[in-house]
Amino acid sequence: MPVEARDLTHTYNVDSPFESTALDKVSFSIADGEFVGIIGHTGSGKSTLIQHLNGLLKPTGGTVIVDGLDLMAKETDKKEVRRRIGLVFQYPEYQLFEETVFQDIAFGPKNLGLDKEEIERRVRDACKLVDLDCDQVGEKSPFELSGGQKRRVAIAGVLAMEPGILILDEPTAGLDPYGRDSILNLVRLWHERGKTILMVSHSMDDVARLADRILVMNHGRLEMQGTPDEIFSQEARLRSIGLDVPAVTTLAGELNRLGFDLPPHIHTMEDMERALASALGGRPAAKKTEEATAHA
Amino acid sequence: MLKDITLGQFFPGDSVVHRLDPRVKMLMMVAYIVVVFLVKGFLGYLVLFAFLAGATLLSHIKPKFLLRSIKPILFIVVMTFVLNVLFTRGEKLLVEWGILHIYWEGVRFAVFMSLRLVFLLLGTSLLTLTTSPMALTDALERLLKPLKAIRFPVHEMAMMMTIALRFIPTLLEETDKIMKAQTARGADFDSGNLFARAKAMVPLLVPLFVGAFRRADELAMAMEARCYHGGGNRTRMKVLKVQRIDWYASGVMAGTLCLVLLERLL
Repeated sequence: MPVEARDLTHTYNVDSPFESTALDKVSFSIADGEFVGIIGHTGSGKSTLIQHLNGLLKPTGGTVIVDGLDLMAKETDKKEVRRRIGLVFQYPEYQLFEETVFQDIAFGPKNLGLDKEEIERRVRDACKLVDLDCDQVGEKSPFELSGGQKRRVAIAGVLAMEPGILILDEPTAGLDPYGRDSILNLVRLWHERGKTILMVSHSMDDVARLADRILVMNHGRLEMQGTPDEIFSQEARLRSIGLDVPAVTTLAGELNRLGFDLPPHIHTMEDMERALASALGGRPAAKKTEEATAHA
Repeated sequence: MLKDITLGQFFPGDSVVHRLDPRVKMLMMVAYIVVVFLVKGFLGYLVLFAFLAGATLLSHIKPKFLLRSIKPILFIVVMTFVLNVLFTRGEKLLVEWGILHIYWEGVRFAVFMSLRLVFLLLGTSLLTLTTSPMALTDALERLLKPLKAIRFPVHEMAMMMTIALRFIPTLLEETDKIMKAQTARGADFDSGNLFARAKAMVPLLVPLFVGAFRRADELAMAMEARCYHGGGNRTRMKVLKVQRIDWYASGVMAGTLCLVLLERLL
């Protein structure tokens, strides 16, 4: 299910003194099964952008086409679009409301009008994906859970609708390292099922590790788009718009300045491990290589 | 939908009207309301209009923006007009159609009543547009201070008002956000019968209440952490001072009041 944005423009508070342009002629397309990361400074229009993709916000200009459905066309059924595109908002745990975890996850599927068995199957499947024991947690109130668990329940609620395209707005914000890893892991699992993913993130490391392609937003415009290698090799430009490169990329630069000869395009921990192993492996000191692999 | 509320929305600026002492503005508002109810004829409304137009001009607020605040009460204005036209009896009959009798006095009265409502709303809107909610509650606290003598908790009331006003935009924003999140999960807020719609509010209201209580809890904690203990012995960062411009403004208000009184007597 491809997604395409054409000259997408959104102006808040039109005709009032608070008028502000949040999106300015943004165009891009996303192919099936892609993992796209969206980065940009605070207020660059990322959240506004993703709310357009499933018709929650109406653009002031331009349009979005999801799988051939034009979101601006009157005859397009918005509900159908929302069935195909799942949207996980920032801090999704604040949207939980049901008496039990099971019922909360079942809210989405129920709205799709599915029968009872199918709902049950989907809820169980979603629970498994987010690493929650449905029999154990299912009958608890969502308000009894820890912060990380709540967020996983909320994400499960969207996954249970089985959208072909999943959009996440900073899914790891405010979580501890363990919670962060478990969320990113489930996003990856979902992607491995052949689903399209769009993830807004402030963490360059996460985006570098997971995304096939990156969209860079700046002041409502699409500043750059390309593979992580293409984006993160332009460090100066990223810094000029309030962004950064992944920590390991900075480290690789520092190491090269100290006399190492690491290859370009080191953006993930795995890249770094490989590069270091081969750089150190080429040296006579075998002990160092062992250390490097031990750390790997 | 939630963004269309102008009433009570402060409009930052640096005009003469913005800079007036909020206490003076509030007292002027009381005088203004009295004037609106004293006005008897078109001449009086002309004076009132001149006053309001002058104040609006000085405040640098676009008339279009100010007029927008009438929208919520437009229905009431129209109803008032129609009912007064139809049911006021008088001497000079204008139209007679079946059981409908429209008198000149009825039309006159209807116009006056509608104008009265519109002027009331425009005046109060001008106050809230040019005065921040904080300044308003501040002024209210100072003006109600004498009530402390009868143990009325003036400071606590003002603090509660400040907090309530402060959180209106936050709660609106949150409502919007939760609504969108639930819509993304297939919730439908706009269709179905009354019962279905009421039921559809549950996924919106529960998170909203939970959020409101969480916020209240956090705010109470933050206030206590900064040693808040009510109104006793508190000094102010911004001490309100009546300046020359405030006297001028009061003078104009008093002049308007006199003119309208004069019109009433003549």
